[in-house]
Amino acid sequence: MAGAPPAVVVEGLSKTYQVAEKAPGVWGSIRSFWSRKSRDVHAVRDVSFSIAAGERVGFLGPNGAGKTTTLKMLAGLLHPSAGELRVLGHRPYDREADYLSRITLVMGQKQQLLWDLAPIETFELNRAIYAIDRGDYRRRLDELVEMLKLGPLLDRPVRNLSLGERMKCELCAALLHSPQVLFLDEPTIGLDVTMQEQVRRFIFECNHRDGATVLLTSHYMLDIAALTPRLLIIDQGRIRHDGSLESLTREVAPERRVSVAAVDPRLAELGFQEHQGRMIRTVPAEDTNLLLSRVLALNPLWEVGVEAPPVEEVIARVFRSEADPRVEARDRG
Amino acid sequence: MGLMQYRANFLLQFGVGLSSAVGVLLPMVFVWQTNPVIGGFTLREAMLVSAFFLLLGGILGTVVEPNLGATVDAVRTGTFDHILLKPVDAQLLCSVRQVDPSRLWEVVTGVLVGGWALAGLPPPTPAQILAATLMFGSGMAAMYGLWVVVISLSFWFVRVDNLRFLLGAVVDTGRWPVTIYRGWLRTTVTVLVPVALVTSYPAMALLGRLELQAALGAVAVGLGALLVSRGVWRAALRHYSSASS
Repeated sequence: MAGAPPAVVVEGLSKTYQVAEKAPGVWGSIRSFWSRKSRDVHAVRDVSFSIAAGERVGFLGPNGAGKTTTLKMLAGLLHPSAGELRVLGHRPYDREADYLSRITLVMGQKQQLLWDLAPIETFELNRAIYAIDRGDYRRRLDELVEMLKLGPLLDRPVRNLSLGERMKCELCAALLHSPQVLFLDEPTIGLDVTMQEQVRRFIFECNHRDGATVLLTSHYMLDIAALTPRLLIIDQGRIRHDGSLESLTREVAPERRVSVAAVDPRLAELGFQEHQGRMIRTVPAEDTNLLLSRVLALNPLWEVGVEAPPVEEVIARVFRSEADPRVEARDRG
Repeated sequence: MGLMQYRANFLLQFGVGLSSAVGVLLPMVFVWQTNPVIGGFTLREAMLVSAFFLLLGGILGTVVEPNLGATVDAVRTGTFDHILLKPVDAQLLCSVRQVDPSRLWEVVTGVLVGGWALAGLPPPTPAQILAATLMFGSGMAAMYGLWVVVISLSFWFVRVDNLRFLLGAVVDTGRWPVTIYRGWLRTTVTVLVPVALVTSYPAMALLGRLELQAALGAVAVGLGALLVSRGVWRAALRHYSSASS
């Protein structure tokens, strides 16, 4: 896709909410009724990035980091407080019909399926809303039903479906119009491991078959590690990292854990410590080879393992590394 | 369609619809027994106003109220996101998503009562029928605009239930001919909450009692309400904060 314009361009994007504040209890409520105090919450601050068409990008951050707010601005639900954003050449918050019919936003916590009706009714409604040609709709629906294994679910009322079944139907409803950009907000939240895996595989296939651009937020590191070659880490409204998981690991966790399946005093001399029947030492990545050669010189038959820190720990380190006050309280009479 | 999934409730709601129609008509019969002409209207003429009131209540209840109520809930819980994501006009989508067919009983009763009232009155000319239709249309447009404004307020204040009940109470005044109200109350029901435009004005048009100036004013109020409500709606969308994640 060299030379193609990027699917998503974000420049200096900010979003500030005003939130009313009140002290707890009845007295707090009375006081707040007469003189309401509000504070500014900077959900997103000066965020810039761009995403190429067909790219899969993971958006990662702790609760309240600004992931969902950014996604909502990209999908045209929220007006930004400052900054520029363009998706497929459109300004999302103009909410032009042409733009909205080329994107989709799937929210793990908010459903569009009509609760009392069967999923097929929602699909039919979306066919009418997106003005999808009947033939195209049939083909696309068959394809999605096959990929998501929805066959037996289509005619059952949504209220009788399990959480995982509902999520699969949500994905189907959101993708019937073959969007070019997929914004996915926690699509695997609350799902069991098998269902998570199915949803992941489905998202990957959508990207692969349709060339759709994918921007995905998740709390599950596995989603990110398995699905998105590029990571955007956001914390306290700001981008902390933009690159691959490997480059992030090199940057914030540049050490390796060397473990030997043996307990030997000579290993202790090399700085190893015993842990559950193994000897373990953590060293800077560049020193790993030297240490390995020394260990194997002692006994070439030892089973030796080298591990990078787990993804969760790498991410946790990014979030621990910086902290700044993001709330500036001020009174408003 | 969602409402028809619960069959017992569906049938019960028809009963409720019918009883509310009886509730509109009975008090009028009692009141007019004490005086044959009130505010210049005989019972039959006043029944024409009631007929339009039932039509208004039926149409609002069938098409407008379920949707606007659902919209307020959607804004409060954040599922309004899905409405905004669709490539069609959000106001239109909000207005046609649900219908409550049980309230159609009021429309049917309105037509029957209107037929009964007209049977005992001199038949209206085609021009009067046209004027009555225009008045009813303008009035409905104005009422719809007002409901849209109330719903738009929910984008700022989130909870607007009480405002909806207040509006419902004012709409209730439309069952009586507007001529029995005086002063500020009359202004309220013709301009602020233009329920009289939907009930009394079409009846007056059918009876040949509506002045041209009042008719033109009604059309202006209807169009004005639509324009203003559109502006308020668009401003409200800019303030949408999309509850929770």
